[in-house]
Order: sequence, then structure tokens, then C-alpha cells
Amino acid sequence: MDLASILYLGVTIGLFAVFALIVIRTYSKKRKERGEIAKYRMLDDD
Amino acid sequence: MEKTEYNYDIVRSFVNWSIVWGVVAVLVGVIVSFQMVEPGLNFAPYLTFGRLRPIHTNAGIYGWGVGVIFATFLYIVQRLCKTRLWSDGLAKFQLWFFNATIIASAVTLLLGYTTSKEYHEMEWPIDVMVVILWVAFAVNIIMTIIKRREEHMYISLWYMMASLIGVAILYLTNSAAMPVSLFKSYSAYAGTNDANVHWWFAHNAVAMALTAPPLAMFYYFLPKSTGVPIYSHRLSIIAFWSLIFMYLWTGAHHLLWTPVPDWIQTLAMAFSVMLIAPSWGSVFNGYLSMGGQWHQMRENYLVKFLIVGITFYGMQTLQGPMQAVRTFSAFIHYTDWIPAHIHMGTMGWVSMISFASIYFLIPRVYGRQLYSIPLANLQFWLILVGQLIWSFSLWIAGVLQAGMWNAMNPDGSLTYTFLETMVEMYPYWWVRAGGGLIYFAGILVFIYNLYMTVQKGESVPSAAAFAEGRA
Repeated sequence: MDLASILYLGVTIGLFAVFALIVIRTYSKKRKERGEIAKYRMLDDD
Repeated sequence: MEKTEYNYDIVRSFVNWSIVWGVVAVLVGVIVSFQMVEPGLNFAPYLTFGRLRPIHTNAGIYGWGVGVIFATFLYIVQRLCKTRLWSDGLAKFQLWFFNATIIASAVTLLLGYTTSKEYHEMEWPIDVMVVILWVAFAVNIIMTIIKRREEHMYISLWYMMASLIGVAILYLTNSAAMPVSLFKSYSAYAGTNDANVHWWFAHNAVAMALTAPPLAMFYYFLPKSTGVPIYSHRLSIIAFWSLIFMYLWTGAHHLLWTPVPDWIQTLAMAFSVMLIAPSWGSVFNGYLSMGGQWHQMRENYLVKFLIVGITFYGMQTLQGPMQAVRTFSAFIHYTDWIPAHIHMGTMGWVSMISFASIYFLIPRVYGRQLYSIPLANLQFWLILVGQLIWSFSLWIAGVLQAGMWNAMNPDGSLTYTFLETMVEMYPYWWVRAGGGLIYFAGILVFIYNLYMTVQKGESVPSAAAFAEGRA
């Protein structure tokens, strides 16, 4: 495996890890309520 | 809480100008559809299909599509951030520079100046104008978000920011060119690389200009219209990030069976199929938001536009990945199937959401009730029927065309000449032109309804306060 391939693989794994972290954080039980507040708040103003 | 004074003047202006360019786009579209069946309607050199077609596409994407983006983003960002725009002056500059850019594009395209890159035909001086325009827009939106008075960022703001950043990266990369005169430049990329960069741009222009912004509008205007929140904000966040991670890899599905390396084609194909998940994440979120509210499809004309719009998005994002698979692409690529697919997205998904957004905005920014709901319903049916006739005629034509191109005699020679396949298309092209006319009639009803709303619509005191930006 040459350097470029290793770099591509690293970027791919890195991006996947970032995405997995976003999913875990968004769906964590601790953040459940906070994650849904915005949809109620946006209805407040008009 | 202290009332915020919003800037609705700029929203009104952008709504009006986007409608102007929308009319130009659809009218020129109808003209070129008739030019295809009646070649005598081509008047060389300026009013030929070759020169008018890019005016149709660019007026549609950049005049109507981006015009509506400007109008709705400038409205939504103020409401969601509960603060006035960062700079009124910059927004005004953006308005007139936007119109100058669209006019310069139309004039140069009519005169025959073109880079020949589809959806990026304008020559380098106009690229510079587009960059200035987009930077002015992006700075104003981002600065408004930074000074917001609402802590929580609703999903529409995420889609808006993605659009601002995405379009900037795509446009700058694909614009790289060496000017050799005021109206002639050569791409910085050569051969296959040029094609690869270009279709990366072109497909992701669909993502960042014709998917993310309408989703921002949908997520904002659906709950505002129904009065109930979306089903899941967290699902919308996951769908957003999935879309962002996946979309930018898909452009090469436009180059299947070309000299572009196989691995790039396979990558694009795989990511295109995976893209069904985030797309349908938003579709399901929209449908589930209607739980207990489906009666509003009968009672609320805005909901009708929005839900049929998101349904077209769902159909579009199933058909698109299907077309991105090599075997199916081999059959239908380069046939009339493809414009039918694109027009389901533009006439169905993007425009349905845009019409709903404008119907929502006009009464609020002018302080008047909509002149006629029956006329809004009439427009809905005209554009729905017009769009379906348009797309179905060319889907059938595309399958017929592909079948004829692929037909072979026992000795391996082609059964049909190219001219024979063209002649077979004529009935379908006539039907398509008819569908376009019906759609255009819908646009005229839309404009009449809005004009009468502004001129004679019943003034509503609270809405009038809203229009002055005091609500």
C-alpha cells in the first residue's frame, strides 16, 4: 500500500469516525430534550 | 421581551425579482420546447435553441432558484435568530448586484459567449460577479447568525450555512480558468480531469443550491403552516450530516462509462445509492410531522404545496440513485429520460416549495391577506398536471429512444438510424411542450393572485404590523 492509499484510508476512517460521533452525540439520552428544543422554539415568534 | 424590527423591504424586493426571473425561465423553456418540434421558430443567430437553452437553465437555477433562496434566507434568518439583518446596506447591494449579474449572464449568452460547461456557461467576468455576490450574501447571513438572540439553532439554519459554504467551494473550484480576453477563458483543468471537476460542481450545485436550500425552506415553512412542530429535530440533524458527508462524492455518476477511472465511477455509484437514506430521512420527517394533521392537505393550500413538493423530492431521490447504477445508466443516459428527471426536481420539488414559501411570505411582508385561495389551488393543479405531463412524456420518450438506440439486427448492425429515432420523438416533444404551456399558465395565475394580493388584498392590522417589521 503506497502513501497516497494510506492517506485516503486515513481520511475515510477519520470522516466515518466524525460522523459516528455526531450520531452518538445527537441520539445520546442526555441530550434528548435539548436536541428537540429548537423545533418548539421556532414556533414561538410569528 | 423587546420587539425586533426586521428588514422586510429586502425580502419583498427579492421575492419580486425572483418571480420576474422565474417567468423568464419558464417562458424561454416553453419557447425552446416548441423550437425542438418547429425548427422554423429558430431565428439565427440570437434566438436559436443553442443560445436560448442556457438562458432557460441559468434563469431557472440562478434567477428563480437562487432568487428565492435570497428572499427566503433573508427572511428566515431574521425570524430564527430573532434579530435584524447584520447589514441592510449589504443586502441592498446584493439585490442590485444579483440583478446585474443575471442580466449580464443573459446578454452574454445571447451574444454567444460561453464556456460550454453545462450550468456554468458564463464567462470569467461573470464568475467574478457571482463570487462577489455570494460573499456579500454569505457574510450577511453568517454575521446575522453570529449576533442571534436565540440560543438554539433550528435545522433550517444548518442547511443554510451548508449551502453558503458548499456553493462557494464548488463555484470557486470549477471557475478556475485562464482568461485570454475579456470574454474568453480556458479551463484550468484538462480533458478527463476537467469533466470530473465540472460534474462534481454540477451535481453538487444541485445539492447545495437545489436541495439544501429547499430543505431549509421546507423545515421552516411546514411547521409554520401547520402550526405543529416537525416530528424529530434530531432526525433532521442526522439526515443533514449524512447528506453533507455523502453528497460531495456523487458527481462522477454523470460520467459512468467514460474514461474517468473505474474506481471513481464506482465510488460515485455507491454514494449515490447511500444518499437515499438522508434524503428519505427528511421525507419521512416531513410525513411524520403530518401525524394527526393530514386533514390540512384538504384545508390548507400551503400544506398541499409543501407535502407534494417533499413527495417529489422523495421520488427524485429514488430515481436519481437508480440512474446512477451502471447498468441502468447504460440504458437511459443521454436519452430524454434525463431531462424528465431533472424537471421533476425543478418543476416539482424546488418550485413547489418555492411557491409555498412565497405564498407564506407575501401576506406577511405586505400585511395583506392572500387575494384568492381558490386561485392558489387552481395554480397548484395547473403546475402539478403540467409537470406530470412534462415528465411522463419524456420518460416514455427516453425508454423508447434507448430501446431504439440499442436495437440490433442479427448481423450486429444497428436496426435504426439516429434520424429515425429522432422522428419517433416528435409526438412526445409536442406533449412535453403542451405540459410546459399548462405549467406556464399556472405561473400566470400565481402572479395574478400575488399582484391582486398586494393591490387589493384585505389589510390585516396585525399583519400590517408584521409587514413593518414590528411583530
